Amino acid sequence: MNRTPLQGTPTLELEHVTKVYKGGKRAVDAVSLRLGAGLLGLLGPNGAGKSSLMRIAATVTRPTSGKILFDGTDVVSRPNALREVLGYLPQDFGVYPHLSAREFLSYLAAVKGLSARSARRRIEELLELVNLTEAGRRPLGKYSGGMLRRVGIAQALLADPKVLIVDEPTAGLDPEERVRFRTLLSDLAEDRVVLLSTHIVSDIESVASDIAIVARGRLLRRGAPEELLREVDGQVWETVAGPAEVAALRERYVISRTVRTADGVRLRLLSATPPGGGAVRVTPDLEDVYLAVVNGSAGQSLRQAGAGAGR
Amino acid sequence: MNARALIALAVADFRERVRRPAYAATLLAAVGLACLAVPSAASHWTILDVGGYRGVYTSAWIGTATALAGALWLTTGGFYVVRDAIGRDERTGVGRLLAATSLSTPAYLLGKFLSNFLVLASMAGVLALTAPLMQLARGESFAVDPVALLVPFAVMTLPPLALTAAAAVLFETVPLLRSGVGNVVWFGVSMAFMMAGQGPHAPLGGFGVRQAADSMRVAMADQGISVRSRDFSLGLTMVDEPLRTFRWDGFTPDGAFLGGRLLFFVLALALALLPALWFGRFDPARRLLGAPAEGVQAGSAHGAAAAAEGAQAAGSAHGAAGPAAAEPQVPALFGGVPASAARRGRAFPFWRLLAGELRILAQGVSRWWWLAAAAVTVAGFVTPEPTMLLPVAWIWPVLIWSRLGTQRVEHGLDGLLGAYPTPSRGLLAEWAAGVVFTAVTGVAPLVRMAVAADWPGVGAWTGGAILVPSLALALGVACRTHRVFQVVYLVVWYLAVNGVAAVDYMGVVRSGGSPAGLSALAVAAVALLLVGVALAVRTARHATR
Repeated sequence: MNRTPLQGTPTLELEHVTKVYKGGKRAVDAVSLRLGAGLLGLLGPNGAGKSSLMRIAATVTRPTSGKILFDGTDVVSRPNALREVLGYLPQDFGVYPHLSAREFLSYLAAVKGLSARSARRRIEELLELVNLTEAGRRPLGKYSGGMLRRVGIAQALLADPKVLIVDEPTAGLDPEERVRFRTLLSDLAEDRVVLLSTHIVSDIESVASDIAIVARGRLLRRGAPEELLREVDGQVWETVAGPAEVAALRERYVISRTVRTADGVRLRLLSATPPGGGAVRVTPDLEDVYLAVVNGSAGQSLRQAGAGAGR
Repeated sequence: MNARALIALAVADFRERVRRPAYAATLLAAVGLACLAVPSAASHWTILDVGGYRGVYTSAWIGTATALAGALWLTTGGFYVVRDAIGRDERTGVGRLLAATSLSTPAYLLGKFLSNFLVLASMAGVLALTAPLMQLARGESFAVDPVALLVPFAVMTLPPLALTAAAAVLFETVPLLRSGVGNVVWFGVSMAFMMAGQGPHAPLGGFGVRQAADSMRVAMADQGISVRSRDFSLGLTMVDEPLRTFRWDGFTPDGAFLGGRLLFFVLALALALLPALWFGRFDPARRLLGAPAEGVQAGSAHGAAAAAEGAQAAGSAHGAAGPAAAEPQVPALFGGVPASAARRGRAFPFWRLLAGELRILAQGVSRWWWLAAAAVTVAGFVTPEPTMLLPVAWIWPVLIWSRLGTQRVEHGLDGLLGAYPTPSRGLLAEWAAGVVFTAVTGVAPLVRMAVAADWPGVGAWTGGAILVPSLALALGVACRTHRVFQVVYLVVWYLAVNGVAAVDYMGVVRSGGSPAGLSALAVAAVALLLVGVALAVRTARHATR
């Protein structure tokens, strides 16, 4: 593996990272990832270990074993090397409820070591960016969930980070905000490392050029969307079934969508072989890939492709 | 009222508490209390003293002594152990789930009371289990009589603990008492109860001291010991000579005494149920957003959002409206990548960080608080003695100091700030903010002592100004709660104000015009040690994250 970063292009490497919590719960199991400039979408079900992995990557949690290297520096032992250029938005975070957004960001800018002038400009710009200029003087305790999430986004961008780690960032945002935030992440990823975790496939499919799927603490797949889609090509079917047949189909196949129609229930399912009953093959999407990988129902070809995970 | 639901609520709450590590610490404290109640024969420290005498360490004496010690100290201290039952339901959101069920408000309050009582009773139980071990350890009597050991706990310890359990419920439902103010108020109330409860005319028999004391005096008289002017003393005291002994086989409680004990429980039930008249069942719309953050505001973004959402009359799609705000529809957001540079200064901006920490420390403090602080400061310039009002000036901010070291945990910022560089600088800035705050609140005596060239006084003041925030920070970081500092500081302050020079950190106990307490250098050294402890604990937590 080449450990010499390209000039000006940050790299973050996770090598065989494992986290075992007290009581023996293995939240992250030998995960290896190499990230350069660009957006890596980390996809996985709730409880897959995404947040643990994100906290480890953000130096908040120390791995039980494994290495995290930022531009070749081991940040488990020297976390400041990453923290000084890191923007991190945890899934759950709090605020000081009696401080205004401006005061809170100003405090965080001081913790980051930004100069006073730079902090002032940056805060004004970020408040405008997340549309909180008007509300910037109001105590954070009076903000809605979406507004607080936007404050979190602003603090993550405060020091113009080279590495941006955002954990389920769209929770609490309305549909329009979600779209705009995804676009922002995509723009930021041009020359930064952006690691985005979510369990919502649509959050990732429009912006991520690189997708990693995790479940039960393990990295199951990694690849470009088109690569992943190719792996389930020909294995996604649609059929219309009567209510009595639906239960049997559910037991046999992974169902990715169900719609009740006048003719019966239209099902979208995953199967390596034709399921019969007039099922027609359809073009797969990322949700199909995700379900196939997480449920382990994809064909052998998918599993073989997994050998490339962690490149 | 559904009894099953009530019991399920109480048991679930009790389980939740006893599975926390802090519970083990409270049980250990109970064991320590039992040891303290039965000092060795040569000890000069005593808890129960009948005019220079104590009973031979039989089951009856040890049961009564430990039961009374439990009644005395668990009544005060137990309150701080159990007072978070409703607050926790509010923070975790469990309260809102329960509020949407058919569980009635009286049943909920009663469940919380029962759970509080179970926790306190378990502490008394540990005392009761330790008592026979202490009897055997002291070795003055090896005849263990379970009835003589346990009856005092049933009639002396449990009744006042029921009142404590009920008071904790009551305090949590009154907005002002729910905050740290309640901790201070309870300290005063329990001190008063502690004094009054030992008197011969204590309401409802107080701790039940009179009946025990009368019986002891009879036993002493029977053994030819004069009982004239032999006062009964309950509480940790130091005696010049180790106590002499007499034989006492306990007392048989009469019907009137037992009736009084029963009334404690009736009163406790009434106290616990009283808040049903106003308890809001976790309705966020009935919450005061302007109230102090402690226990009211969110510990997380989601919690804060919930609090805010509840208070919002009408929020726009973008959520830009606060309570009663009517703002125009917001324009598009996330318009592009920020363009301005984020430059680091050549030197670390410690002063700005300190300003931020000061702002956080004083956040949400009402103007009335500042007004009272200003009044104390102004009065401090005109009192006959320069340090006369220093104890007032340095008790008034106790709730503010208790925020030190706890705020980032309390408000759910640990995860966020964990990814920020050099956490030790933040801790030092937090400590410095505490020192500045302490100095500002006690500035009047400092100025006057400096003008009068009372340099020993200035030294003692300086030691105190450093010690108080250091103690708050160390306890806050180690225990992650306001309460421990509030209780510890109140006790130390109370002793200092009552002339115990050994703990006078302010320089208010004077001898020959100079501070008679600890040297300023010793106080400052302890303070720095405490800061070191805070730093070490936070670093260790970070290392094992």
